Amino acid sequence: MAMDFSYKETWLHKINPSLKLLIMVLLFIHLLMIHNTNILINYMIGMLALYLFFTGHPWKRLLVISIPFLLIFLTSSTSMIFFGKGEITWAKWGLVHITEESFFRGLHLGFRGISFAILGIVFALTTRPVYLFYSLMQQFKLKPKYAYSFMAAIRLIPLMIEEMQTLHYALQVRGVQGERGVNGFYRKIKSYSIPLLSQSIRRAYRIAVAMEAKRFSNHGNRTYFYRLGFSKFDVIFLCYLLVIIPLSYVTATHFPYFSITDVRFGS
Amino acid sequence: MTTIASMTNMRLKFPGVESLLFEDFSLSFEKGEKVLILGPSGSGKSTLLQVLTGLIPSAVAVPMKADALTIPESWGFLFQDPDAQFCMPYVDEEIAFVLENLQIPREEMEQYIDHYLHQVGLRFDDNHTKIQTLSGGMKQRLAIASVLALEPELLCLDEPTAMLDPEGTKLVWDTIKNVGNDKTVVIVEHKIEQVVDFVDRVILLDENGTIIADGPKQQVFDQYKHVLIEQGIWYPGVWEDYMQDKSRHIPQSVNTEDAKPAVHLSDFSAFRGKVKALQVEEARAHPGEWVTILGENGAGKSTLLLAMMNLLKTTGTYKIFEQDYKRIKHLAEYVSFVFQNPEFQFVTNSVYEEIAFSLHLAKWEQEKIARRVDEMLKLYYLEDYRHTHPYQLSMGQKRRLSVAASIVKEQPIILLDEPTFGQDAKNTFAILEQLEQLRAQGTTIIMVTHDLNIVKNFATKVWRMEDGELVMESPAPNDIETLQPAVIS
Repeated sequence: MAMDFSYKETWLHKINPSLKLLIMVLLFIHLLMIHNTNILINYMIGMLALYLFFTGHPWKRLLVISIPFLLIFLTSSTSMIFFGKGEITWAKWGLVHITEESFFRGLHLGFRGISFAILGIVFALTTRPVYLFYSLMQQFKLKPKYAYSFMAAIRLIPLMIEEMQTLHYALQVRGVQGERGVNGFYRKIKSYSIPLLSQSIRRAYRIAVAMEAKRFSNHGNRTYFYRLGFSKFDVIFLCYLLVIIPLSYVTATHFPYFSITDVRFGS
Repeated sequence: MTTIASMTNMRLKFPGVESLLFEDFSLSFEKGEKVLILGPSGSGKSTLLQVLTGLIPSAVAVPMKADALTIPESWGFLFQDPDAQFCMPYVDEEIAFVLENLQIPREEMEQYIDHYLHQVGLRFDDNHTKIQTLSGGMKQRLAIASVLALEPELLCLDEPTAMLDPEGTKLVWDTIKNVGNDKTVVIVEHKIEQVVDFVDRVILLDENGTIIADGPKQQVFDQYKHVLIEQGIWYPGVWEDYMQDKSRHIPQSVNTEDAKPAVHLSDFSAFRGKVKALQVEEARAHPGEWVTILGENGAGKSTLLLAMMNLLKTTGTYKIFEQDYKRIKHLAEYVSFVFQNPEFQFVTNSVYEEIAFSLHLAKWEQEKIARRVDEMLKLYYLEDYRHTHPYQLSMGQKRRLSVAASIVKEQPIILLDEPTFGQDAKNTFAILEQLEQLRAQGTTIIMVTHDLNIVKNFATKVWRMEDGELVMESPAPNDIETLQPAVIS
């Protein structure tokens, strides 16, 4: 099974991967500290622009990937909207209790979930794992032992997917019928995981020996096929964030969508 | 002559195994020698290569002791599994990985990569090509290229073509002969047809890891032929000897004129996703026929089997004993399937249960099941292993078990995907004989294979696949040469 995952390279791909990772982590933390839905919405729009216009992936793929985003939004917001605490009641049916506070808090949670997802997916779509690990070795002095292990492991994933397909056929042929309930689930997990794991463990072991046979060792210096440094694209990315984030604060103050500025309960 | 690698009184023991694998084992290799090591599985051939290169004990922690050990300064190791040699996703990155290890400056890397790829005869428009998209033979040649990047004096090859089709095998051996000419080469292999004119010295091990014979190839082959047969080694002429020894009759094409076809395909296509992956205009297989499906890698041979097992979306006519397959409730009552990798087929924890599995599903009586399973265990030489976990069996035993478990219900049609792949001669003949017995009783056998000797000596009919299309249906020829060009082109 050959998966085609081609894309156009954009400036987001050319950012130093370590820097991108670091900034993403910082953005995640920052996101947790935004309690004003107005800011969050602007912020989300800023990140959505990156996702929609600069990842270099075709529209169709972007649309498919965004389906789970909506799911995240719905699940995280509705549970808060229906069951959250609040004083100004809008509606009440048994356990479900919608209040103004819980409604906005729910929306806020939903937007936050989407923002997290967008950032993560933008990173994943624009970063080749190989570059990331080369960069981590060069910029963060990650030990080659770990970097190459990860890269080798990533190579195993498509092989495992293929094997899973074969296994699925084989089980079907043998007449293994899906049983219902916990027992059936347990048996299903077992019948898939044991052959797949045994195959992968063996393969991983062989790859490890093959790597050592190619004189891969933990000590000594090594040269790098890819040298990853910093470029103007890093500056562009930083500038983009430095414009978008303050802008979302400013517009939130001057042109708010809602009058609520802090969704936390009791504040 | 200078000795390039040697060991004196080497002892080695695998953890958890009672006895020593090697005891006071001494061996040496001269510079420039081309050596073939033969032996049954479990005789420690691969282990020997790993000691020779120092992978044991540095990379593989196995207790080993030797009075003296000479390991060459530079060596390269080519492994069996094309998918378990690479740690990078792209061709250029993989060779660069070796160059990085050797601390070659980055500026020179591109040039080296081109050089080594050229040496193994691989040419890409862009060296930044996904390894995943290469065929097995190309992967092995890429592996050779990255081994060459080590500039080795000694080349160790551990069954490098065991997982390749005939075409890939030929190309890989041609490449090895080409690049290995000026090097010391030590080869472990049980399919030796391609290697035999390249090597000059043969070492024969027994199952206890002792050297039975060591000398010029002709001498060893002449004096120890019975050992080669006993060990199931694919020495040149094994097929001729086998056919003579058994004095079997060449299977006759059964009279198909008036018999009802067991399988009838007509204007039949199969789809993978939305892509049409198979097209069969017209094909028939009758009871008592042995059909082999031939074709290059990716020609759709396995797809055809999967489609006939109703595992893919299909259109057109597919009749089993003149019944439309869609009307048949349980296709598995009529058709059984043996996969290429036996491990994927095992669903239980013991050999006995494995064979009994489909009988339990069919709700047979306990007593009847026991009788039938015992019968199968005996027939497939698995009696002593009835309580063993399927994963703990040897390669040959696993294969026999997978066949036994598939056909236990005596379905009239058996589909097999390269069942003799990677098996030694002894196991191959055992499987073929069992299938031949079933065929003689009227079972229809439809089998994907690359082995033209099987086509010549066992098959009654050939289906040839090209680009996802069944292009020819013909009686099996008795002459291999007429088949050759289609398979090895």
